[in-house]
Amino acid sequence: MPISDIPILSMLRTRMQWHQERQRVLAENVANADTPNYRARDLAPPKFEQALTSASLALARTDPNHIVGAAGAGSQFAEDGDLHYEVRPRGNAVSHEDEMLKLAGNQMDYDAVTSLYTHSIALIKTAIGKA
Amino acid sequence: MDFIKSIAIAATGMRAQAGRMRVISENIANVDSTASAPGGDPYRRRIVTFRSELDRELGAQVVTLGRVATDGSDFRVKHEPDNPMADAKGDVKYPNVNSLVEMTDLRDAQRSYEANLNVITATRRMLQRTLDILKS
Repeated sequence: MPISDIPILSMLRTRMQWHQERQRVLAENVANADTPNYRARDLAPPKFEQALTSASLALARTDPNHIVGAAGAGSQFAEDGDLHYEVRPRGNAVSHEDEMLKLAGNQMDYDAVTSLYTHSIALIKTAIGKA
Repeated sequence: MDFIKSIAIAATGMRAQAGRMRVISENIANVDSTASAPGGDPYRRRIVTFRSELDRELGAQVVTLGRVATDGSDFRVKHEPDNPMADAKGDVKYPNVNSLVEMTDLRDAQRSYEANLNVITATRRMLQRTLDILKS
């Protein structure tokens, strides 16, 4: 059993992927802060129920010759547009303050997830008597 | 690796803002550049345009500098009969550059540049956190 199949670790991994993806979307917003007609975008937050089912749900192998499918190819997150408060005369709706706020939030949440991941691994180490 | 992508996207933003600063400094430097012949047209203010385009390699909307357009507004005309560049009526045309506007623009470019730099710093910290998992 690979370490990534442990439910809590795979959930944390999904969350880390989400933060990575969000970081990319936020970087796009900041880079395009002066592009005419550009609207800021954000990722839709992940659903708890979805994480719960996808963490325990795997492809069934009905034949031993089947190759185990690797989960999570490509982006699995919906992009959530239309969150802008003000539109400038040149049609741009990126607010630097908003983006910096989201960026800081994203970073802090990511820190939380990685430290949870570290602690989970420490727990496993304790369980196998290597602490 | 998505973090590397984020850094690359922010870098395109910084490149675009740096190009904007270059054009602004050109405008400021030429704020008093008159024509090279009497009665001719002086330096015309230039404006950068930004374009958002899809970078297929990154799979993201990066920003690039579009065409550098010229400002079609009227020149400033001063009556200086003693100026060697004055026309028959004694008027001299000065560039349509307003240094106050340029300074404001410069500040805006600087602010955007710093915002992109901020993204890179934040992304680097997140990347560092990921690597820290290995150390535990």
